[in-house]
Amino acid sequence: MKKIPSFSIAESWFREQGWTPFPFQKETWKAYLEGKNGLLNAPTGSGKTYALWFPIVLDYIRENPDYLKKHPKGLKAVWITPLRALSQEIRQSAERIINDLGLPLSVGIRTGDTSTRERSAQRKSMPDLLITTPESLQLLLASKGYHKTFWDCRAIVVDEWHELLGTKRGVQMELALSRLKTLSPKLRIWGISATIGNLEQARQVLLGPESNAYNNSVLIRASLDKKIRVVSIIPEEIETFPWRGHLGLRLLDSVIPIIRESKTTLIFTNTRSQCEIWYQKILERYPELAGEMAMHHGSINKDTRIWVEEAIRNEELKAVVCTSSLDLGVDFAPVETVIQIGGPKGVARFMQRAGRSGHRPGKESVIYFLPTHAIELVEASALEQAVAKNAVEDRIPYLSSYDVLVQYLTTLAVSEGFFPSEIYREVKSTFCYQGITEDEWRWLLNFLVMGSQSLQRYDEYKKVEADPDGRLVVNNRGIAMRHRFQIGTIVGDAHLTVRYQKGGYIGSIEEYFISKLTPGDVFTFAGRNLEFIRIKDMQALVRNSNKKTNKVPSWMGGRLTLSAQMSQLLREELYSANLPPAEQSEAIRCLAPIFRRQEQESLVPGPGTFLIETFKTRDGYHHIFYPFEGRFVHEAMGSLLGYRVSLLSPITFSLAFNDYGFELLSDQEIDIQAIIDNDLFSTAYLLDDLQKSLNSTEMARRKFRDIAVISGMVFTGYPEKGVKMKHLQSSSQLLFEVFKDYEPDNLLYLQAYRETFEHQLEEGRLRLALERIGRQEIVWKPCSKPTPFSFPIITDRLREKMSSEKLADRIKKMTALLMK
Amino acid sequence: MTTQTLIIADQHLELHPSGVIYWREEATLLISDLHLGKVTHFRKYGAAVPQKAIEQNFEVLEQNLHYFRPRKICFLGDLFHSSMNSEWHRFEEWVKKTEAEFLLISGNHDIISPLKYEALGITQVPELVWGPFLLTHFPEERAGYFNLSGHIHPAVRLRGHGRQSLRLPCFFKNKHQLILPAFGAFTGSHVLEKSEEDEVYAIADAAVIKI
Repeated sequence: MKKIPSFSIAESWFREQGWTPFPFQKETWKAYLEGKNGLLNAPTGSGKTYALWFPIVLDYIRENPDYLKKHPKGLKAVWITPLRALSQEIRQSAERIINDLGLPLSVGIRTGDTSTRERSAQRKSMPDLLITTPESLQLLLASKGYHKTFWDCRAIVVDEWHELLGTKRGVQMELALSRLKTLSPKLRIWGISATIGNLEQARQVLLGPESNAYNNSVLIRASLDKKIRVVSIIPEEIETFPWRGHLGLRLLDSVIPIIRESKTTLIFTNTRSQCEIWYQKILERYPELAGEMAMHHGSINKDTRIWVEEAIRNEELKAVVCTSSLDLGVDFAPVETVIQIGGPKGVARFMQRAGRSGHRPGKESVIYFLPTHAIELVEASALEQAVAKNAVEDRIPYLSSYDVLVQYLTTLAVSEGFFPSEIYREVKSTFCYQGITEDEWRWLLNFLVMGSQSLQRYDEYKKVEADPDGRLVVNNRGIAMRHRFQIGTIVGDAHLTVRYQKGGYIGSIEEYFISKLTPGDVFTFAGRNLEFIRIKDMQALVRNSNKKTNKVPSWMGGRLTLSAQMSQLLREELYSANLPPAEQSEAIRCLAPIFRRQEQESLVPGPGTFLIETFKTRDGYHHIFYPFEGRFVHEAMGSLLGYRVSLLSPITFSLAFNDYGFELLSDQEIDIQAIIDNDLFSTAYLLDDLQKSLNSTEMARRKFRDIAVISGMVFTGYPEKGVKMKHLQSSSQLLFEVFKDYEPDNLLYLQAYRETFEHQLEEGRLRLALERIGRQEIVWKPCSKPTPFSFPIITDRLREKMSSEKLADRIKKMTALLMK
Repeated sequence: MTTQTLIIADQHLELHPSGVIYWREEATLLISDLHLGKVTHFRKYGAAVPQKAIEQNFEVLEQNLHYFRPRKICFLGDLFHSSMNSEWHRFEEWVKKTEAEFLLISGNHDIISPLKYEALGITQVPELVWGPFLLTHFPEERAGYFNLSGHIHPAVRLRGHGRQSLRLPCFFKNKHQLILPAFGAFTGSHVLEKSEEDEVYAIADAAVIKI
């Protein structure tokens, strides 16, 4: 064993910069140089890149004392970043060290933006240090001779691991790591994560439960305690403050003094459309801010985004309206103030955004919270509590994602082929697939090789083939090419690029939005009014327009749910409405007139009560339930209750929900007393009932879309050939139907349901919520008109349907309606 | 099972929930958009669509033969979805053992050589005027004829109280034409908006219901 070199090289480098290393940096250097793996818990902008680049470099010096004369070629370390936009920053910090120390190490970037020429140059000769994304790493595994690339790799660092954990890209990482552990015997694996509720589990997922890597690992916490102050912006007149809505423009004027008072202000919005609208409206009302204000979101073109980021650093901007696109990445020292518009739907995210401000040591971070509707003031108050208690949420990792595994196995078959027994051991050692059985494994292999579980007459299925020696390979070049193209498309929605007809890239928009436009329509995007001309080759062509419009692209990604901790804090805040004013927070006190209205018509529930309201409008009979558990749990509970009610008598509902409660809307009145008498909130037969209630909903079908793409059953098309994504959408739906009718035991089809339960419906939380309701007194309030609490729910237009009536009866009713 | 019988130009057309029409006077079965070969085409390109969907098509065809005992079977286009693949053999087998006269109106998907059809004794024509009817693949309006066609894969969306909505494949009829739903098990559908003059016959489970 070689002596661990002193940190003197690193320490003196820090001195030269005028810095002192943080204890967590030194701790990380030490652990790394002792040969340990680990997870570093450090926030953005804390010097985490130096915590890991340094020991990698020091280790190189230790291993190659004669590095100036004898520099071994080949890849030495891989740095994974979930956002390719961050790769430049990471490269800069690595190069800074290397240049200052005069080392012969090269740094390269390999992402979707890397040119083909550079990529093939890299294939011939890899840089010493490679910065890449999870997708590009998979693509490396899909190229011939990949094991030679990695054989002497010493380190892999997975940055922003909390962003990957709980996503299928995280599963991709788990699989890649399981391969690299075998290929690179000297590999050390490190993750870097912001604070999340389940850090210990995050380490386990990264390294593999019960693995040698895990047993030889550490968890290092940066513990840079920072004071965060939350200030809620309270409307002066609550009586006229809207009961619903999500834009928050009513309070626009109160944002301006905040902007004026600080050097730079970041205004975080929840969706890109909200971002666009806020930017427009501020400029309309305060044109003097033009030139001092910018906008930043994920659909704006890269150059503009980089320009905005530079401008923030150079103190050229007074304010930037942005989305989660500015959550990650390096520091913007001049940012003094942060404003959050609307509920951030997560304490961790809220705190991370708050941390964007006041970056000088010892200085407190200030974040303003701007509510978009009255009830959200309750959330404002709950957020203050959550920040004080540091109640951050968990990121739930995926289990048994067969779609990602099918993709990964095809990847291995495309590059060099694989022996099932060898890969099975590796796959089984990951967190995601720890529960995989030999039967399931055989099923997957059959699926890849035969496209079914038994050989059929006349079949022409072709994908993976078995060599005589038992190695599984892809021989067909077309299949290999399509597969490589598909690897990058693991993340979600179909996007079209938006371009001027004369040329000039503006950004990208969900195809869903574009498909609703007809030529000549004007919409707002990237701060401009654009006229839609036509779609050509996956591009939406536009020209500038002077016409006014209220069309703003929507992005489905905007719909988030409340975490369990946050829901609980929210309920506690709401219950405080019944306390004397002196014991209430300012936000709750200010809501007093709303609570009075609510009390007049219904009531404000306390900790011991579960509120149900019913009333009739033109739309039908509304039945509203208030669990305050977040939209996912409400979606599940609504389906469950709807199903159970429908067992009592044939009935059809549509279901609406938000973070506070859910609604069953029907053309018939539901007997609420029967719900109470029959104990319909019981947890008995929960899973069974849930499964049945889902039969008539669309949830699994929607989940299946990604599964079909990831597992390669639906091809998204080559970019230049411009196969429209609409075809993908309908054909994954079609596939779902055929599986439902003809192969309901297909593991990928079943996965759609499992994901629905585990990730969408949060079955675990649902059970806890039902148990809580079981201990509460159910209070049913028949009302004469919609109440303040119900208003945001009944106006929600995204609905689920369910029915226990016979199809023919439903049609008769609908037909009767048409005739009227 | 419930069917609906329409009388058009004194001819009886029975709409069946499997998506076919039985023309009583001519003892002819009209079938549109079968898209045979599609499942195999997908499988050939690595998408493991369940093979049972292939057999399903033939089972439902058999049930119809059994129920109506037609003298003639007329396909209104898109009989075979892709270029030649092994599903053709399955189709050949079925044609050979079926005692009926076969006709094919060419659809946009029908790219298999006419010689192949000829060899099976299937007459292929671009369109056909037969009695009061004009049989085509693409819907078309021609003076003096009532048009029977396919191609669209029509479906209808129904809305009810409480913001309910339902999507069903359908027979779509107006004054001059009747469009058949797609027969194939792996075909999908396209929602049409119903106007005042249109008549829609939706397929709901085992019944054809007039909307």
